[in-house]
Amino acid sequence: MAVQAFSAQPVKPTREEHDMTAAISVPDGATVEELRAAWWEADHGADARPFWTEVGRRFVANKAGVAALVFLLLLTSSAVFAPWIVRADPLVGVATDRLLPPFSPGHLLGTDEQGREMLARLVYGGRLSLATGFVPTAFATFIGTCIGVWAGYKRGISGTILMRTMDMLYAFPAILLAIAIGASLGAGALNSMIAVTIVFIPPIARIAESATRQVAIQEYLEASRLSGAGTLRILRTQVLPNVANQILVYASGLVGVAMLIAAGLSFLGLGSQPPTPEWGYMLNSLRDTIYSAPLLTVLPGLMIFLTSVAFNTASDALREAMDMRLA
Amino acid sequence: MVSLIIRRAAMTLPILFGVTIIVFLLMMVLPGDPAQSFLAEDATAAERDRIRAELGLDRPLPIQYATWLADTVRADFGFSPFRRRSVSSLLAQAWWNTAVLAAASAVVGLAGGVLLGTAAALRRGRLLDKVISFVALTGLSVPSFFIAVVLLIVFSANLGWLPSAGTGMDQGFGTFLKHLVMPMIAGSLGTLAITARVTRASVIDTYGADFVQTLRAKGMSQSQLLGHVAKNAISPVLTTSGLQIGNLLGGAVLIETIFRWPGIGTLVYNAITSRDLLVVQGATLVIALTFVLMNLIVDVAQATIDPRLRQAVH
Repeated sequence: MAVQAFSAQPVKPTREEHDMTAAISVPDGATVEELRAAWWEADHGADARPFWTEVGRRFVANKAGVAALVFLLLLTSSAVFAPWIVRADPLVGVATDRLLPPFSPGHLLGTDEQGREMLARLVYGGRLSLATGFVPTAFATFIGTCIGVWAGYKRGISGTILMRTMDMLYAFPAILLAIAIGASLGAGALNSMIAVTIVFIPPIARIAESATRQVAIQEYLEASRLSGAGTLRILRTQVLPNVANQILVYASGLVGVAMLIAAGLSFLGLGSQPPTPEWGYMLNSLRDTIYSAPLLTVLPGLMIFLTSVAFNTASDALREAMDMRLA
Repeated sequence: MVSLIIRRAAMTLPILFGVTIIVFLLMMVLPGDPAQSFLAEDATAAERDRIRAELGLDRPLPIQYATWLADTVRADFGFSPFRRRSVSSLLAQAWWNTAVLAAASAVVGLAGGVLLGTAAALRRGRLLDKVISFVALTGLSVPSFFIAVVLLIVFSANLGWLPSAGTGMDQGFGTFLKHLVMPMIAGSLGTLAITARVTRASVIDTYGADFVQTLRAKGMSQSQLLGHVAKNAISPVLTTSGLQIGNLLGGAVLIETIFRWPGIGTLVYNAITSRDLLVVQGATLVIALTFVLMNLIVDVAQATIDPRLRQAVH
């Protein structure tokens, strides 16, 4: 029985049919690559979608996830193309136009305590706020993966020292550690990102370590070792591809948290310095106006909140899409 | 029981040691000269050297650490030149206020989370479950300092029902409660959300276990069954609660600052603005120690409830 590959409605073969399809026919003189391709096609023809195509299909089917992703894309592009979206200068205000309420003529979302336009500050503020979500997570993922994969594969003294150091960092509440590091590094957007990066390395290293331990006992790893591959080569070609997904899913959940912690740091004055707009700092600087202009105070907080919801929803959707055990 | 406590306590010793090393390194190796805070802006190099020698900053790091550790074990965290008081006296006073707020938030967050999570699990897939799951996701994503500001706007600025600052501890219990409500809610929301999620998952998981089937088949009533399920489902909830206490203690810095609650958080905030590093150092250490201790307690409690965990580690 022929299996119709890539048909509109793929038919899943039964076990017997599956085995039958493994018998392949190739023209005489076919190269090894052609043979392999033919075999793969025959063996997997029924559901021959690559992993990421399948993940993408499942993600798109999740309405909440797509909505969150679209929101994040809009937000990111508005932050990147800020000068083309808002005309007002986010740094210079008009002293006579202070604390105008939202929907004032000429200022859609009003003005802040220095007469600067809120809309402009919110759009430009997205640059730093989004960066504080992505940048520390990316760096922490890289460093944490290196540490965890090394420790999980090599174990021994170096692995033990690395992981015990991670345990010690774990003994601090995350936000407190970020505050302590931020305080000793000094205020500034870059320093707060470094602080959040350090805070996120231990959890990622732990995930990477336990994932690596599971891979390390697999036979294909032994095979690779027996065929003479060195440690670095094994880590790169055998371990990393097999632990990457697990780490990626976990890291995606950290982006929102990173943004929240960074916003908290700048709320305390440890993040970006005035007059650079950043949502956490804006929320703090507008805190004294809750009696006179409460709506204005809510705006930056609302942006942090919505972005964080979007990050968490998108991450949940990604996790569900990548977990193939969930039908 | 006693041997269990001793064994678990012994396991936290290396962690405590590591905590002191990290706190020490944070303040000593990173930029920012502790001597600076004792000096005037126009201090000469000679004056700086004298202060550095007085503080022991010119000696090698391991020796500095040993001296610092010896002082720290005796609860001597140094002197705050800004507040003109010893750091430990500042911390002792603030720790109590923070503990009160964190404990209240923990009780509300954990109890509320367990209740909501159990309710969601029992009504799985129905409207109540969906509402609770939505509330939990929101609670996870909303920054506590944003909730705090919104609460202030609604209940202090507009309605005028609740006071916006202080603890009101010395003005009777009623006034204290009024001061406590908002910071407690703002602080506990995240804990409530996570606890609700974990409880829901754990209760649903336990209901699917074979022993529940057996108990049902033997004709056990719904309420009796819930008791059995609860005992088996509590372990993951306890594990997260230990972590949540850390979040409450750490998040206190933000919440306390907003509500001007005179705890460790406010102390840290003020110390950061004046770059009073010794206070930040002491506060970080004290909160981390409290966190490790709370986790030890949770650990022992867990092992007491769940006999399977008693054999796990030796």
